[in-house]
Amino acid sequence: MPHSDSFRFLFFSDLLGKRVFRADGSPLGRVADLIAVSGEPFPPVESVIVRSGKRRLQLPWNAVAQVNGGVRLHPGAEPVPAPAGPVADRVRLGDEVLDRQIVDIEGAKLVRVNDLHFLESKASLRVAHVDIGFRGLVRRMGWQRLVDRLVSTVRPGSRYLKDESLLPWKLVQPIESAPGRVRIEATKKALATLHPADLAEIMEELDRDHRQVLLERLDVETAADALEEASPEVAAELLQQVEPDKAADILEEMAPDESADVLSEIPGETREELLEAMEPPEAREVQALLAYPPDSAGGLMTPDRIQLYPEQTAADALAEVRRRAEEVPLVYEVFVVDNAGGLRGFATLKDVVLADPGTPISRIARDAPVTVAVTDRLRDVAIAATKYNLISVPVVDSRGVLQGIVTVDDILAEVVDAR
Amino acid sequence: MLADKGTAAPRRSLWGNLLVFLAVVGPGIITANVDNDAGGITTYSLAGAQYGNKLLWTLIPITVALVVVQEMSARMGVMTGKGLADLIRENFGVKVTFWVMVALLVADIGNTIAEFSGAAASLSIFGVPAWVSVPLTAAAVWILVLKGTYRQVEKVFLVACLFYIAYPISTFFAKPEWSTVVKATLTPSFETSGGYVAMLIGVVGTTIAPWMQFYLQSAVVEKGIKPEQYAHSRLDVVAGCIITDVVAFFIIVACAATIFKAGIKVETADQAALALGPLAGRYASWLFAFGLFNASFFAATILPLATAYYVCEAFGWESGIDKKWGEAKQFYWLYTGIVALGAAVVLTPHLPLLKIMLVSQIVNGVLLPFILIFMLLLVNDPKLMGAHRNGPWFNGVAWATTAIMIVLTGYLVVAGLRDLFAA
Repeated sequence: MPHSDSFRFLFFSDLLGKRVFRADGSPLGRVADLIAVSGEPFPPVESVIVRSGKRRLQLPWNAVAQVNGGVRLHPGAEPVPAPAGPVADRVRLGDEVLDRQIVDIEGAKLVRVNDLHFLESKASLRVAHVDIGFRGLVRRMGWQRLVDRLVSTVRPGSRYLKDESLLPWKLVQPIESAPGRVRIEATKKALATLHPADLAEIMEELDRDHRQVLLERLDVETAADALEEASPEVAAELLQQVEPDKAADILEEMAPDESADVLSEIPGETREELLEAMEPPEAREVQALLAYPPDSAGGLMTPDRIQLYPEQTAADALAEVRRRAEEVPLVYEVFVVDNAGGLRGFATLKDVVLADPGTPISRIARDAPVTVAVTDRLRDVAIAATKYNLISVPVVDSRGVLQGIVTVDDILAEVVDAR
Repeated sequence: MLADKGTAAPRRSLWGNLLVFLAVVGPGIITANVDNDAGGITTYSLAGAQYGNKLLWTLIPITVALVVVQEMSARMGVMTGKGLADLIRENFGVKVTFWVMVALLVADIGNTIAEFSGAAASLSIFGVPAWVSVPLTAAAVWILVLKGTYRQVEKVFLVACLFYIAYPISTFFAKPEWSTVVKATLTPSFETSGGYVAMLIGVVGTTIAPWMQFYLQSAVVEKGIKPEQYAHSRLDVVAGCIITDVVAFFIIVACAATIFKAGIKVETADQAALALGPLAGRYASWLFAFGLFNASFFAATILPLATAYYVCEAFGWESGIDKKWGEAKQFYWLYTGIVALGAAVVLTPHLPLLKIMLVSQIVNGVLLPFILIFMLLLVNDPKLMGAHRNGPWFNGVAWATTAIMIVLTGYLVVAGLRDLFAA
């Protein structure tokens, strides 16, 4: 490659606070910030903010002729007053990224930015990496040369010298910058690749405002998955901060038992408002669950289950599983009920798959070894599940009518929390 | 905003208010109790034993200052949802943060040393030698926190803090001249003797320490207190500040009515325990030892843990006792290091313990003005606090408090440095 490969790497700490000179050599001020266009894998720096006395001035990056100790401008570069607030689809690297917490998508955690790593070529300066390592801290202190020399004399093979701790920009998500249309899609995609449980943990670690920002950038399904994993208190707090319509959408998307847990943490008036905004069938389901104390079988159960009449066949059962795949996320067994809804037995999915398609379900099903009442405590449900090795414990009312099931994952979560 | 109608409304809302208060209460009162640690009990005891009631008047201005400072911490925690170390890093950059953290680390190691020597002193009353009690206490602190049963134990500590009630009761049995006590509390008096001024600054310094601002703000954030619950949180903070100083008040009066009156020069923990004599008779030293040990142990668990948290928060290292050692190395090493160093220093023979404490007091003194100024800059930043910035009146009081603290701690630092080099 001819001339175009004349590029080099630069750190933000090499630029920040550097003196800026006009073409004629007269001083203009010091570098205060860099503004990059967001939404690209390597965002180009669009302009540089220069602090001149009390004023903040903005210059396009292509007005910079040379970065070498100081920053020298091209002749005729005219600074304009810098915008005061955030601008859509632009990242203020100093204000919004440096020293802030960002989401590390690959490591699925929050990290603090110690420095930024740029790729400088003839025409442009692009953000390549964020530095989250100890060496970045040392560099910001202005001690890199000293510390590097010390470490390399004492222990030349030290991890400190080799570990760069640089994360590619495309694998991090700044939380503070103004999103704008371009960014939102990229952000949504990136965040959706995180496991909901990791996303929930990140949200719990964030402060209130940033949680809200993050939640607003998730699509409804990702948000619902993440909130199911978060503690009901945090989920409740978050939902009260987003628009009631979006909150209602998220609640509908969540499993009814989880959404009831969250709603029970929300104060009365707001709860009513959210229930009203939800689609009536989902709202009714959740409302029924809300009537039970949260640590009772009724409060723990989900009404979503596959339920059949005795005369239906194994083929009907499989058809029902397919039909309701969307609303019932976990299917391990199908339940058999009589016309009044009384529980007659259950069959595991394996039984159903292995049976001849025409076999009536009543012939495959066996009696449920145990049922719990809606008022039974968590402890009773946990004991029942452990004793009979059940994945789902059926919950019945006083007349023996099947109300829902408590699945073992919910029991585990409660038991671990109660510890 | 309750939507109840009819006659039941007022009772309901009172009940509702109480529930919210109980849910929000905690950070302020816990901070207050940690504040009355080994250093606190010692300083107040000495103040009463050496100067009688003469320092009582300082408690009213100290309470005002404490409320002003702590209220800002709690308000920042509630409104920004961020810890103080976090805010300092984000708003003042790496260099400032680095030096603040270095100073905080040194000061808190000094405070931890004080806690361990408090534990050693209290257990020596039961005849346990320091080389047994200190390693055992350090190991107990370390295991207790890292094995994660800390939350339950915190409640035990808080109950044990009821020990402080022993001081008011003992005071009543000692029958001090209440008219003199009240007069001494309400009328400022001043002596120019070096010892008096040093003691005055000691009382101020032990009551308003830099770590408290970090601790309280983080505790408020961790509790997840929302802006609309802030009024209750403020009540918690004010109650905590008043508790701290009421306890200080009774320790001073009890010591004044017993030790000072008898003209004893306090040199050992046993003698400081005499203040509880009117209540507990010959068991006074046991009661005192129990209280001092509880205070030392409580603070020795909280201080190193809290310090490790702030440092990690500031530098973006993973922290928290729910993380594995490999995930949060810096956090665990810091915590372990502070506990081990604190205990080791107390045990090292011939180490000038008093000088080390003096250095830690000086560092505390140097750090405090910076922390207060940072807090005032942050709490007045419209981007962070919006409408919850300080009002002009409050700002006046806050800056005046800061100025007085700077003068006092400046004196402490100068006097401390002089003593350090004179000795």
